[in-house]
Amino acid sequence: MGFFLMVVTIIAILLFIISKKSKIQHIISLSATGLQILIALALTREVMLRGSVNYSFLGGFFYLDSLSIIVLDIVLLIGFMASIFSIGYIETEIRHGVIDSNKLRLYYILMHSFLFTMVFALTVKNMGIMWIAIEATTLASAFLVGFYNNKHSLEAAWKYVIICSVGIAIAMLGITFLHLSSIGVLENAQFLDWVALYNNAESLKSPIVKLAFIFVLVGFGTKAGLAPMHTWLPDAHSQAPSPISALLSGVLLNSAMYGIIRTVAIVNRNLGSSIYTGRLLIVLGLLSMLTAAIFILTQKDYKRLLAYSSIEHMGIIAIAVGIFTPLSIFGALLHIINHSLTKSMLFLATGNILQKYNTKQISKIKGIFKLLPVSGMVFFLGLFAIAGMPPFSIFASEFSIIVSIFSAKKFLVGGAFVILIAIIFAGIAVSLFKMFYVNNQQENLQRGETNIAGTAVIVVLLGIITITGLDIPNGLNDLITQAQSIIIGA
Amino acid sequence: MRNLLYIVIQLLVIVMVAPLLNGIIKKIKAFSQKRKGAPIFQMYFDLYKLSRKSSVVSDVSSWIFKVTPYIVFATAVAAALLVPVSSLIAPEQIPGDFIMLVSILALGRFFIMITALDTASTFGGMGSSREAMISSLIEPSILVSLFTMGLVTKSTSLLPMMNVMKGIGFPLAHPGCITIFLALFTIIIAESSRIPVDDPATHLELTMVHEAMILEYSGRHLALMEYGAAIKQLTLITLLVNILIPHDQLIAITGIGAVVLSLTIYLIKVIGISIIIAIAEVSTVKFKLFSIPNLAAMSFILAFLGFLQYFVLGGCYVLF
Amino acid sequence: MYCFDILSLLILLSSFALMANKKSKSYIKSFRIQSLLIAIAAGMMGIKTIIEEGRFDVMVVCLLIIILKVIYIPNILNKTYTKAKYQVEKDFILNIPILILVCCGLVVFSYFSLSTIDGINDGMINVQVVNSISVILIGLFFMISRRKAIGQIIGLLVIENGLFVTAMFSTQGMPFIVDIGIFVDMLTAVMILGIMVFKINEEFESINIDKLNKLKG
Repeated sequence: MGFFLMVVTIIAILLFIISKKSKIQHIISLSATGLQILIALALTREVMLRGSVNYSFLGGFFYLDSLSIIVLDIVLLIGFMASIFSIGYIETEIRHGVIDSNKLRLYYILMHSFLFTMVFALTVKNMGIMWIAIEATTLASAFLVGFYNNKHSLEAAWKYVIICSVGIAIAMLGITFLHLSSIGVLENAQFLDWVALYNNAESLKSPIVKLAFIFVLVGFGTKAGLAPMHTWLPDAHSQAPSPISALLSGVLLNSAMYGIIRTVAIVNRNLGSSIYTGRLLIVLGLLSMLTAAIFILTQKDYKRLLAYSSIEHMGIIAIAVGIFTPLSIFGALLHIINHSLTKSMLFLATGNILQKYNTKQISKIKGIFKLLPVSGMVFFLGLFAIAGMPPFSIFASEFSIIVSIFSAKKFLVGGAFVILIAIIFAGIAVSLFKMFYVNNQQENLQRGETNIAGTAVIVVLLGIITITGLDIPNGLNDLITQAQSIIIGA
Repeated sequence: MRNLLYIVIQLLVIVMVAPLLNGIIKKIKAFSQKRKGAPIFQMYFDLYKLSRKSSVVSDVSSWIFKVTPYIVFATAVAAALLVPVSSLIAPEQIPGDFIMLVSILALGRFFIMITALDTASTFGGMGSSREAMISSLIEPSILVSLFTMGLVTKSTSLLPMMNVMKGIGFPLAHPGCITIFLALFTIIIAESSRIPVDDPATHLELTMVHEAMILEYSGRHLALMEYGAAIKQLTLITLLVNILIPHDQLIAITGIGAVVLSLTIYLIKVIGISIIIAIAEVSTVKFKLFSIPNLAAMSFILAFLGFLQYFVLGGCYVLF
Repeated sequence: MYCFDILSLLILLSSFALMANKKSKSYIKSFRIQSLLIAIAAGMMGIKTIIEEGRFDVMVVCLLIIILKVIYIPNILNKTYTKAKYQVEKDFILNIPILILVCCGLVVFSYFSLSTIDGINDGMINVQVVNSISVILIGLFFMISRRKAIGQIIGLLVIENGLFVTAMFSTQGMPFIVDIGIFVDMLTAVMILGIMVFKINEEFESINIDKLNKLKG
């Protein structure tokens, strides 16, 4: 059953190569991602019933538990949304002559292989193969970042590939050390197997595990956009086509964070406490929030601003994982979900804005409500949501993280956290709310939405984050609680 | 008695063999250029010829000019006495260690440099400034590599060093020793004015280093200078082969035969190294002066890596 | 036996030689030599595993290294370099002796940082691990010391080489499937970067990556 997730994508990629008409390609893309969502729903049910899905085929290669199914569902949901949005977006780009129609096929092939690599990273239990898949995400998305082939996007793509490849190479060193620490403990067939490593965590060699954690944190942290290693992120997010920005920010960062969480679970179990990993994660997290706060205050480009906001939210998740109490892990997992949905909604909305105004400068955009009534409204509410205002779901997860920080008696961290969130809120308000002021200069632009299906998608996403902000569904609650007990080890 | 025997054999071997090496190197270079070349004993004839000629001394020069050739020759011979050609003939103890060896050689070099300035000719000053640069760049790597060998063998004196390395058997099988060997080899090339650093055959003002400094000398004085340089070269090669490729442990017999055998193997090793030097010389081109720091840095790195490998392995050299 | 020690040292020395190179062509040559040394080490390890455990996977990995890293990737890079129209010769920021001394410092650093971690090879510090981690660090330093795009690709490949050697010497080889995956990833990365070098060359009229400085803040 689970293998169909990958088979669907492979068939879709083959069909893209064969098919000639752009309409057929749109249909293939939609049906592939739609089918994947259905499979994911079935898998989710299975995981909720049994706790994990593990086929004996290929030596137990395929593995899903409630932690990976959460991230996997987000990947497939946002993949579906992005492929709906892409239809209108790419058609408009072709009509404006930004890209020629032959590139549609390349776009779809790359986008689906990007999704494929992420699905692959989330459904294996061998850490080495997970590393390979995460490295492959960089390679699959490299040309998507440089899709427009101009100076800026090439620069962004080059930085993206170089920085992420080096970062991920360092993560490989960490995984090598993890492997080294397990020699003599595990059998040959179990090498690098996450479940085996986790079950035998107490008997691994602690000094090497500690060393391994630093390398994994720096490596996957580069990919997740944690602060000193974040420099590729604003460039890549701002230069990629908007649906791809949504995927990068909403999905890719999560898969890297997922790698870190898996390692943290092993290391904490091995060391018997979370002090070692906690300190490192909290320092990196606060640093990310600080960097984001500074750059958001002075930002002139709205897509870059949203990219820095992603760095901030990754920092928040890192801090929550660092605290490592049941409540904070619950908050972290919830925050992963909420941030992905909210941020991809915002990036999709910027796609509409960008195509209408044809600029990324905040100062050149006025009166969005008039020109784009729906997208403008969603973007406006989304900014409140991403800044952590109730009733949206990010408020709920941030609140539970703050409560967990204070109840773990880390008052300094908590104080800094709250102050930084306040600064970022002010930054978003000061920089972006200018876009909504009315000004009569831009009367020459045509009014109304162009990408109807895409606009419907962002409205749906807004609906989801509002509803989950008011009340977390029971099923989701159970799933997160299961994942939490996997990480903490009940 | 034993001391006397040592001194006699040491002088006989090093002082007599030294000019031969230059002959061999020149012969190999000639072969590689499809020439017949001078006979290998040519340098002996040259030295004999020069020593019978009187030397011309510039009337503006001071006493330093006249005294230097003797000092250079004397320091070379003194250095030669510190490095035993075979551990079988060596006495219980040789006064002086490798620090003394380096300082004696430095004394000779110091006099060559000031005598080149003494006659106030432009070439001499140029040569001595270049020599000062090269030697100061090469000095750290000599000391680091020799100190590493000292740490390995727990001694700074050359005879105990040789004895310990003999006990090890074949040190070149060891990573640390390989780098030290390469570093010392580079140092020998630089110290004996060989091709990547200096060209012994040139008299072109742009490229001369060693030749520029002895340009004013003639006759007997020139003979002493060249002889001194040849002895210094052989002393350094002896240091290299006897410490890093020890052979005396292979000799099973005792008595005179053992000494003869040991000296024969020694000669074979020395000739082997000089063949390698000749090959290195024909297969590279001379560096420009400002690239020499790169070579010196490389040689320093080699010595330093050897030092590190020794520490990384935690002294298990002596164990195997 | 000390032959793995010697090989690890030679691999380290080859990365020093890479650092001392001035021209893109000679980077590629040094990389080829380093990969050849790694292939020899893998081959020896492969023979050992065939004799002791009867597994052939390390030998397959050795063959893959020879095909990919010794032959194919250097050829791609050579082709990329000759096709790139705009070539700059001066490529390094500091002069070479300083670069080499910094590398030396990196070796010392990796030695001292690893010496504080017990558990790597049972109490005694493993010379092979120190050397191969130094190769990774030198690869990183190589990347920041060169301006040209080719230099950066070579730096990335040296890092990968260092990773492979570290894995091989510290754990007697990663699981087979992981090794294969790493090769596939690396090959794709080199191809993608090669294509990007062309595009950068066309768009910026140079392959000097100092010119990639438009995106800031």
